[in-house]
Amino acid sequence: MALATHGTTTGALYVYGFVRGGALKRFRQEGVDGADVTVVEGEGIAAIVSPVRTTDMKMKRRDLHRHLGVIESAFESTTVIPCAFGTIVESSAELEDGVLIGARDDLLDGFARLDGKVQMNVKATYDEEKLLREILASDPQVAALRERTRGAGEAGYYDRIRLGEIVAARVEERTEADTARLADALAAHAVDVTLEGPGRGVALRGSFLVARKSLARFESALEALARAERPLLRFEAIGPLPPTAFAASSVNSRG
Amino acid sequence: MAVATRGTSSNYLQRAPSPSGLADVLDVILDKGLVIDAYVRVSVIGIEVVTIDARIVIASVDTYLRFAEAVNRLDLQQTERAGIEELRGGGKKDETKGVIEGAKEKVTPGRGNSRKERSR
Repeated sequence: MALATHGTTTGALYVYGFVRGGALKRFRQEGVDGADVTVVEGEGIAAIVSPVRTTDMKMKRRDLHRHLGVIESAFESTTVIPCAFGTIVESSAELEDGVLIGARDDLLDGFARLDGKVQMNVKATYDEEKLLREILASDPQVAALRERTRGAGEAGYYDRIRLGEIVAARVEERTEADTARLADALAAHAVDVTLEGPGRGVALRGSFLVARKSLARFESALEALARAERPLLRFEAIGPLPPTAFAASSVNSRG
Repeated sequence: MAVATRGTSSNYLQRAPSPSGLADVLDVILDKGLVIDAYVRVSVIGIEVVTIDARIVIASVDTYLRFAEAVNRLDLQQTERAGIEELRGGGKKDETKGVIEGAKEKVTPGRGNSRKERSR
């Protein structure tokens, strides 16, 4: 197939994701490295691609936005299986034989699984001062050590380490319990969940796959949860997004 | 971070339809998405972005405190910078190691739990 290219081209293609054949033809979005975005179709499936102009293409920060922008624009009108950032195939022939034909059944299963679903990313972070105050108030050992180390200067060095160890352990326990509780509350309105590993000060960071018809319920649950958890926790929600966190399990789950 | 707000945005729940800041974009696309190398030869460009794994942090109060300060500064700055100047064949391991005291985790797009081999 003919690709709109300018300058020299390697024949290699940057792949953004997959949609059902015929769903999309043209993209206004600029692709990675400023290239034009188009589709390679075969067997009822279309790969969203753009030409790779040089073998040592330098990706820039804006290419992250372009990658997501292309996927988001496809997601506006159809079901899309997003590819991992930075996926490049040797040629359109390899893409057709290897993926459009070779992975056809898996991709079709993926579309069916993701049809009518959106991804909501939710993050809840602690107000650290409030969290530490709660721990201090609820743990006499922490309070005692704090008293002992205050004003002790260098003499209190080992007590300070001990204090830090205990506080860190309490924070970890607390976070673990909160993560499970918050994730459960939202998972009740989702069809799938992927949670990110713990991060400092983070009670919840995860992606929820939500049916469009349940989106209003998910959002009210989120609103209610965030209101109930204030002021210790502050929530951020991004979406509806294309299902980037759920694409992998739609075909080859290797995790 | 500028977040386009809508609907129920409040001081306890901030809403955005799409990620705008780099950290949020990375959250959405890095290490996410379909990996097709089971079917075809692919080269996943080796962008390695340093993130901070707080689990490793708590070796002592000393590092805890230093880290606490460092993380607040580093978390975003580091990502912004590592954010994507370096590429391909990635491995600026040693440069970044000292900066955040080894408490880091490399994230390679699409290769979360899989082998790190790259074709060609």
